[in-house]
Amino acid sequence: MTRQSTWSRYRYLTAHAFRMEWREKHGLAGLFLFALASVYACYQVAGGRASSETWNALAWVVLMFSAFNAVAKPWPEDSSAMRHYLKTALRPSEWILARMTFYSAILCVLALLIFLSFTIFLGSEHLSLTQGLSFLLGLECTAIAFASLLSVLSSIASRAGAGFGLTAVLGLPLIIPIILISTRYGTDILKGILWIDTAHHLLFLAALTGGIGTLGFILFPYLWRD
Amino acid sequence: MKNTLWKVLGILTLVYVFTLTMLVPLGPGLLEFQDVNRVTPSPLDGKSIPEYTIIGFGTHWNQQPESLQVFVQAKGQLAALEVLSVQDATHATVGLNLPYSLPAKSWNVLINHPVDGTLLLENGLFLSDRFIDAKATWPAPSFTEHPSQLGFHFPYQPRIVETIRNLMLHVPLWFTMFLLMGIGFVASIKQLSNPRNQLNDDRAVSSVQVGIWFGVLGLLTGSLWARFTWGAWWVDDPQLNGALVSVLVYAGYLVLRQAVDDEGLRARLSAAYNLFAFVILVILLMVLPRFSESLHPGKGGNPGFNSYDLDSALRAVFYPAVIGWILLGIWMYFVTLRMKRVKRQIELLP
Repeated sequence: MTRQSTWSRYRYLTAHAFRMEWREKHGLAGLFLFALASVYACYQVAGGRASSETWNALAWVVLMFSAFNAVAKPWPEDSSAMRHYLKTALRPSEWILARMTFYSAILCVLALLIFLSFTIFLGSEHLSLTQGLSFLLGLECTAIAFASLLSVLSSIASRAGAGFGLTAVLGLPLIIPIILISTRYGTDILKGILWIDTAHHLLFLAALTGGIGTLGFILFPYLWRD
Repeated sequence: MKNTLWKVLGILTLVYVFTLTMLVPLGPGLLEFQDVNRVTPSPLDGKSIPEYTIIGFGTHWNQQPESLQVFVQAKGQLAALEVLSVQDATHATVGLNLPYSLPAKSWNVLINHPVDGTLLLENGLFLSDRFIDAKATWPAPSFTEHPSQLGFHFPYQPRIVETIRNLMLHVPLWFTMFLLMGIGFVASIKQLSNPRNQLNDDRAVSSVQVGIWFGVLGLLTGSLWARFTWGAWWVDDPQLNGALVSVLVYAGYLVLRQAVDDEGLRARLSAAYNLFAFVILVILLMVLPRFSESLHPGKGGNPGFNSYDLDSALRAVFYPAVIGWILLGIWMYFVTLRMKRVKRQIELLP
């Protein structure tokens, strides 16, 4: 079956990524286990119920490392033969968009899981319902920003043939601006500021995500060229 | 000849900049206006008045001490204080002969002296034990304002003081780094649009290699400045974090290049990454600090150096410093580029 439009190919690729992930459930399970284990480690390190500052700091750090862990998996298109085949069937920019969407979805679920396990283990006494939901909103926006940045960087790293270590070296400095904005938003929320009054951070995050996504979209075809 | 002229010019400019930066004296200023917890009878009417010391920086009060005048000023009201004695060039004792009812608590302290001209210490005097009456006024004292008789000097800035000389290093170093990274950015775009030409890849890596040194030097001079003015080698500030992160991002660029063996692939991957790096550099250093609170001048509502240091002496050294550092940076870039080209040629030799 040939798919004519970019949109339908993009939808197919995204669905395909999910299907492949679902077939090999151990990848997903490992990811969630990693997140849960880090939350539990944080719970032990923080000594039980955490103050709201510690809570805020640990939540973002756990999300960041889980995100790095999520993109560490090699992809079938990383092999040169597969890339040659795919180039005849689709455009590289469609592939990277599908990949970003896939990672965004995975990281959003991961963020939700991290948030829930944080409220269970490290306590939710200092969070009202509105605060909790606003914090979750921030986590989800950050997860999408991480996904768009890391999917491009991990494809650069895998193309360089250096694997996960290079993703971390390239990604950690670039991820700091995102983390800076997110933590500032989280601090404001935990101080009791209404989310709409500190929503400019989210707007900035969205702009950053859009910028990174566009840049990745434009640059990705160059990465596939031989 | 044409190729060496601008290099010589750049070095001469830097020699001029360093000479003036180190040799030009700093202008006078006021450091402190202190209560010494003592009262003296006023020489005018014998009433007991509290004694204060005024401490100057680089002032010349030992020359013509009788013409030193001290004023306090708040809300348009000026009052002359009695100068009791002048100890040396920078220390004088004054009596605070103000009435009990005052229009304000916080007062600016001004001095007027034939050598130093008029100097200001903002909010130097705070009186918490007076009755505040906004209508309390008295006729302004008469005085003759002396124009300062000082030669070429850098302006005194409170808290910055002698470290104002760092302006000739810190700021131009970052300007040069920006310019070099901009060259790298353009070269990377060209590299992506024309992958066969290795020259653009060489240009990109040369400019980043040189630019990263300027970034590191900018960080070091900034850290030195932060230690003096803010009291710590590093403070949690968006501008500082941004500067460190952007240097790390470019270090990542060099790591990425080391990781790839194939030349064409290396050129393409590092060019793609370099575009990210430059965009992040602009966001981190130009955009983000403006939207958050920052101690750094020019950011977060703080005035830039241009608006509060606007001084002909500083400009006479600062603008040449910018030109000199940029010329040096460009020269270093060309040398690095040529080294890369020559190495490539040598590898091609049979």
